[in-house]
Amino acid sequence: MDKTTVRMQQIALQTLANGEVDVILGWKKGDEWYDSYPVVINDINETAELIWDAFCVNNLSKYLITELKKNLRIGVFLKGCDSLAFNQLVIDNRIDSERVVIFGLPCPGMIDPQKVKHAGLNKGLLKVERTGDKIVFITKEGVKEYIGRSFDYDKCLNCRCPNPVVSKYMLSDAVTRTDEEQYFPDVTEIEKMPLEARYDYWTKQFSKCIKCYACRNICPLCSCETCVFDNIAAGVSSKADADCEQQFFHIIRAYHVAGRCVDCGECSRVCPVGIPLEKLNRKIIKDINQLYGDYTADTDIAKSPPLGTYKVDDFDPFDGSKQGGKK
Amino acid sequence: MKQVYKRDLERLWQTISEHFELYLPLEQDGKVNFMPWKQGENVNIDRLKTDLSPKNIIFPPTETYLKFRTVNKRLCFESVGGKNDKYVVFGMRPCDAASYSILDKVFLQEPIDRFYEERRTNGIIISLACSEPEETCFCSSFGIAADNPVLGTDIAAWDIGESILWQPKSEKGKKLTGILDNILQDTSEHEIIALERLQQSIREKLAQLPWVDLDLEIISNNMKEMFESKVWEELSKSCLGCGVCTFVCPTCHCFDIQDFGAERNGERFRCWDSCMYSDFTRMAHGNPRKTQTERFRQRFMHKLVYFLNNNGVYACVGCGRCVEKCPVNMNIVKVIKKLGGD
Amino acid sequence: MSCNCQKNVDSLIPQVAVIDSIRKETADVATFRIITPAGGKSFDFLPGQCAMISIPPIGEAIFSITSSPTEQRFLEFSIKKCGSVTECLHSMEIGSEVGIRGPYGNHFPVNDVLRGRDLLFIAGGIGLAPLRSVINYIMDNRRDYGTVDIIYGARSPEDLVHQEDIMNFWPKQINTKVHLTVDRAVDGWSGHVGFVPSYIKELGLANNKVALVCGPPIMIKLGLQALEQVGFKREQIYTTLELKMKCGVGKCGRCNIGDKYVCKDGPVFRCDELQQLPDEY
Ligand code: SF4
Ligand code: SF4
Ligand code: SF4
Ligand code: SF4
Ligand code: FES
Repeated sequence: MDKTTVRMQQIALQTLANGEVDVILGWKKGDEWYDSYPVVINDINETAELIWDAFCVNNLSKYLITELKKNLRIGVFLKGCDSLAFNQLVIDNRIDSERVVIFGLPCPGMIDPQKVKHAGLNKGLLKVERTGDKIVFITKEGVKEYIGRSFDYDKCLNCRCPNPVVSKYMLSDAVTRTDEEQYFPDVTEIEKMPLEARYDYWTKQFSKCIKCYACRNICPLCSCETCVFDNIAAGVSSKADADCEQQFFHIIRAYHVAGRCVDCGECSRVCPVGIPLEKLNRKIIKDINQLYGDYTADTDIAKSPPLGTYKVDDFDPFDGSKQGGKK
Repeated sequence: MKQVYKRDLERLWQTISEHFELYLPLEQDGKVNFMPWKQGENVNIDRLKTDLSPKNIIFPPTETYLKFRTVNKRLCFESVGGKNDKYVVFGMRPCDAASYSILDKVFLQEPIDRFYEERRTNGIIISLACSEPEETCFCSSFGIAADNPVLGTDIAAWDIGESILWQPKSEKGKKLTGILDNILQDTSEHEIIALERLQQSIREKLAQLPWVDLDLEIISNNMKEMFESKVWEELSKSCLGCGVCTFVCPTCHCFDIQDFGAERNGERFRCWDSCMYSDFTRMAHGNPRKTQTERFRQRFMHKLVYFLNNNGVYACVGCGRCVEKCPVNMNIVKVIKKLGGD
Repeated sequence: MSCNCQKNVDSLIPQVAVIDSIRKETADVATFRIITPAGGKSFDFLPGQCAMISIPPIGEAIFSITSSPTEQRFLEFSIKKCGSVTECLHSMEIGSEVGIRGPYGNHFPVNDVLRGRDLLFIAGGIGLAPLRSVINYIMDNRRDYGTVDIIYGARSPEDLVHQEDIMNFWPKQINTKVHLTVDRAVDGWSGHVGFVPSYIKELGLANNKVALVCGPPIMIKLGLQALEQVGFKREQIYTTLELKMKCGVGKCGRCNIGDKYVCKDGPVFRCDELQQLPDEY
């Protein structure tokens, strides 16, 4: 068995048994190779079913909000990007970090089952194992090996934080990223488009939206008790499939998570119609960095969030003297 | 039995589109979905499942059906919407075509839904057998034959490599076949053998799949017992209530009705809704499904028990979309297995 | 601009109706009398059935019809202020136009099961609304039915709706008794004080009647228990339920209890049938 999985099961057993935590948030494996799914367990007998593999893509930190209402102390497994969301939830006062024990999981990247499928490797596939950049496909017929990151989720290819920024127990050695990628290439590409083309691009993308709200529900930071789009009294026609309504939804959502988005890429991953939502969020992150100085949500909970603080010398877009446009 | 050579496909589509609106699986940004075709579009008939189901053709995500306005202080309603254009869908998979016959049970039941009925009568469905069924397919558990499109099908088609075999199944199908007379070719013994071979190979591939014979009887015969099962609480814990499973599902048909517009001048539309949403059954004075556990249970009880009791068929065709799209890998197969229908 | 109202063929399309009068029942309940623009009633129905009232651009909501099917001039709805559509209705004036579609659902079995039987009506608060339709239907066909007992309770005397009926009209009819109760004693109330379920037991009525129950969920639940305690079988009891509804015709999928749709298979259920269904209402 994978070393980290062994360590994972041990630590879960140990902390549950000695009462350090009451429940554990982790992943279990279903019957299929791609099926690693989130679970909440409190039975020490179930700890032996916990697993760590290249499909543990779900961020467990959002479950803390509901589970902390029912349990006193929770142990949670967090990858690098997950730990950023955890910190942001702490800053947002959504969870009480004192009652959470974090098991950190340095992450080599998660595999996108759709990429495996589109490469035709899913036929008779039983299991996929990953160590660093080496990926082993175990099929009924035999074993195939690949080196490289061509099966990683797009969002993992852009990862800037593979190692947990906060944890009590770190379960394996930190991973180092070898590929030096430029952080905002996709944003720069869109910025280069002429205004009209950019407008058309987003209009077309948003018009695909079927308003399932998966992007919002998966987002660890969309954590409002009642989202404005679920509140009929707010007067938003949340379900209308009209271009203006879709654009409205996406722009409002982008602004609601502005400065808090940790760029985990989950919204884009789950969108069934493939809207590149991360580009919108990354544009805002890029702008915030440029306007208010480099700030990465949320590597450090002590640092105050740029849109949550005011400094006299802050950039002021409403001050006409510094702005273009019609005077 | 007729056939169309692959080199003639473009010409076939062109001719169809001269008479009908034509829906084809089109690839855009890596996703493949049924959309109206124009020359030059990127058609992908090899992708087994479209990302979204083709239910949007007969049951659009949003549909305005009423306009209201005030004329001289009098309220006036005007019935709008519906679809009168005749259309053809090429390349729908047997499970999706079968899903149309399931939606029929809802919308064509009295009182008949006018919009739905118009769309159904105006469409001709060409259903393409699945040469390469995948791990996430479990249509055979619901009695749907991937090698032989029947339900909801006007023309059955098989991809035998060089050409696509073409067999009209309904009057509408025969009419269309007539129109395409100069493109469709006759078949010979050779193609019939190829068809038999293909069907044989499909059946063999299906037999290898992990979920070919899920047994649902124990679930569907025990409404109250299943409703009270402990399983719901456990399985629903990870469910985000996002509703993706219901939106991509070809047989989910729940809708909401809302008004849109200003003071007495606007429109009323219906749009897809989902029993997975917290506001689905919420009333001003309470909600019978308070937590995600009850909503989660509703989805699967509806598909596996309630719909069967009312209509004699399951509200699932085993297309596997919910399996592929659920962000947390929760799905109907896990539910079936957990409830004992393995 | 010409009006296309005549094209209304689909089940989801409302007809125009006019608010003919508004009678204030309590602080937050009023009875709306609704007629067609030409005068007269929008459609025929049977007691217990419902209709969708729409107020564009706020939306639609479903209400039980409280007037009797024998009333040819209008439809009446007793509506409690609760949610956006009802708030708006309450702010409307006489002569305002709304949309209406229906009737929806099944009805109390006035033409078979109830015929010739002694009847017991049990209502709490606004729950009298659907039962009033049955009671007045019976009053207009009085010889076809046996004795009528009406137990009706509300929080306070001010919360009793349809005062004219309960105080004056019904008690004067032959073989008809009205038993009123309020939750708490107040000055000026000389009637019974106490909750409906315990009143059922106190009254010691014969248990060979058919009972029709409607009220808030908790009253229905405890009321059924009380009826069973005094010897009623579930087969003798009918109730009517309320769930969120959108289409009213069994398609939008949100009003189900197990495999039954309240808008189509209900809202009236016999209690033994209800017991077969999952407990989710
Ligand atoms: S996940 Fe995609 S389709 Fe669903 S609401 Fe978000 S953007 Fe729209
Ligand atoms: S429930 Fe899942 S497998 Fe069944 S028809 Fe719907 S999407 Fe397909
Ligand atoms: S599963 Fe849910 S959304 Fe789908 S048809 Fe049934 S009730 Fe409607
Ligand atoms: S089962 Fe999955 S897809 Fe469906 S609502 Fe829950 S999380 Fe979303
Ligand atoms: S209200 Fe739509 S199904 Fe009952």
